[in-house]
Amino acid sequence: MLSTKTKYRSPEASAFYTAGLILLGIVVTAFLVSLFWTPYSPDATDAAAKLIAPCAEHPFGTDNFGRDVLSRVMSASKYTIYISAAGVAIALILGTFAGIPAGYFGGYIDKGIMLLGNSIMCFPGILLALVAVAVFGASVTNVIWALGLVFAPTFARVCRVGTMEIKELDYIAHARVMGVKPYRIMGFHIFPNLVPQLLPATVIGLANMTLFESGMSYLGLGVQPPDASFGKMLSDSQAYIRVAPWLVIFPALMLVFYILGLYFISEGLRVNLSKGGKR
Amino acid sequence: MQGKTGYFVGKLIELVVTLFLVSLLVFIAFSIIPGDTARVMLGPDATEAQVELLRQQMGLDKPLIVRYFTWLFGIITFNPGTSYAYNMSVGTLIAQRLPVTLGMSVFAMLMVIAISYPLAVLSARKPGRLGDQICSVIGHVLFAIPPYVASLLLILIASSMFRLITVGTYVKPSDDFLAYVVCLLLPSFAVALPKIAMSFKFLRSSIIEQRSSDYVRTSKSHGLSDLRILIRHVLPNSNVSSITIISIILSDILGGSLIVEQVFNLPGLGRLLLAAISRRDFPLLSGIVFYLAFITVLLYFLSDIAAAVSDPRIRLK
Repeated sequence: MLSTKTKYRSPEASAFYTAGLILLGIVVTAFLVSLFWTPYSPDATDAAAKLIAPCAEHPFGTDNFGRDVLSRVMSASKYTIYISAAGVAIALILGTFAGIPAGYFGGYIDKGIMLLGNSIMCFPGILLALVAVAVFGASVTNVIWALGLVFAPTFARVCRVGTMEIKELDYIAHARVMGVKPYRIMGFHIFPNLVPQLLPATVIGLANMTLFESGMSYLGLGVQPPDASFGKMLSDSQAYIRVAPWLVIFPALMLVFYILGLYFISEGLRVNLSKGGKR
Repeated sequence: MQGKTGYFVGKLIELVVTLFLVSLLVFIAFSIIPGDTARVMLGPDATEAQVELLRQQMGLDKPLIVRYFTWLFGIITFNPGTSYAYNMSVGTLIAQRLPVTLGMSVFAMLMVIAISYPLAVLSARKPGRLGDQICSVIGHVLFAIPPYVASLLLILIASSMFRLITVGTYVKPSDDFLAYVVCLLLPSFAVALPKIAMSFKFLRSSIIEQRSSDYVRTSKSHGLSDLRILIRHVLPNSNVSSITIISIILSDILGGSLIVEQVFNLPGLGRLLLAAISRRDFPLLSGIVFYLAFITVLLYFLSDIAAAVSDPRIRLK
């Protein structure tokens, strides 16, 4: 349980937090700054400045249309952050609303919900999200919904297992005897106690969703041009990989910073949870 | 029914029910497509009669439930209809492309096992030492690199340093098996990298956990050598949990190779899938999606069985 009394932090967890926050900070700063200012317009082409190697005017170089890579990387971070956050929010809501009743009621409700969740998880990798986008068309909104649906079962599992443990505790039995309605027990007595387990799952969900989203954008089924996204930038730059490696390296670096930062933070949370739990 | 057979029969029923639900999901996904499939195929210039004729040929005029069972029957008998775009049997198309995707997945899996097992054993010998910490940090970084980004970086390294790997050439296994292996080596490695990190991390913590248990201490006091304890006692106990992990890794590898094929220009299922998506070829698409899910479900089923065979305690849960 998340308690203010046991603020134990292992040095290992602190190291993970620091590393994670630095990496994540780089991407988030780039995103926040891009909202107000980018060195050049991310879509502005310049025929005189094609494929320039990193220099003082263009720190990250320019691409085959003469667009400034730094500006494009900055504006691409927007979609990475937006899609992962919105997708995880949908997955979290769906997963919680399916997982807690499954764990609380058990029986056929549990079996039904879990069977549905398991069959969603049977599709390897981004296959289901690709199909959803293929059917409904490629757009940012559809990608968010598709990924939210694909990730919902993971959160449902976390909620279900946690609920099954918590519902055996005395205070739940007490509340039940007092005549508290099931939805109230689930919403006000069980859900707050699931937060410590849901937190690392959410952070790792953000990272995994970014893996999927960038893969879909790479395949051309995610963020649509002319908007910049890391995946699309990488697929466009593939043809110039030998002459202009900076086109590949900088978007790849930013993408990996974001994912790695999130992994480190979730690892820190996990270490703290496993050590703080044994009070 | 109790015990062994009961557990296996239960798992088998679960397998069939899951497959049924998966087929239902796939069918529903392709039935709620906005727009009239026949109209989309023929384009806006077609007359109403032409559209109606095609609809009858494709069986689109029949009720949904009839179409579902016709489709399901086709899928089960490995004859899931004809592709619009290629005008070929979907089964033949998939069978043609399968050696690429499956070969990549198998190679990647072999790499995962061959690299992560020795590293995990070495790393777990002295947890917290410098070597162990370096491995762990590298593991975290590798885990965060998407397979297609890893492919691009590998191409970059290979092309600038060695100039020996030609990207985008695929050799059939029947033509020259060695060349087939070589051309799949780099893509398989790209798919395997994050999974090596995952398997390493998991196996390492599992071995460390086992080593601190009572039976290891007892074996040590009996005078058994460290190597013998590791091979006879620690690894088999870590294996049970790693069977489950391996099935998850395999499914991830399968999903990852769909994208990596695109990077390396390999004619596998991933490229076929993308072609089917861009041409809105739904019989082909639904066939690929169902069979890929089928392979995954089967993997999970086999891993459950393997885990239960190697550890009888699982059957009692």
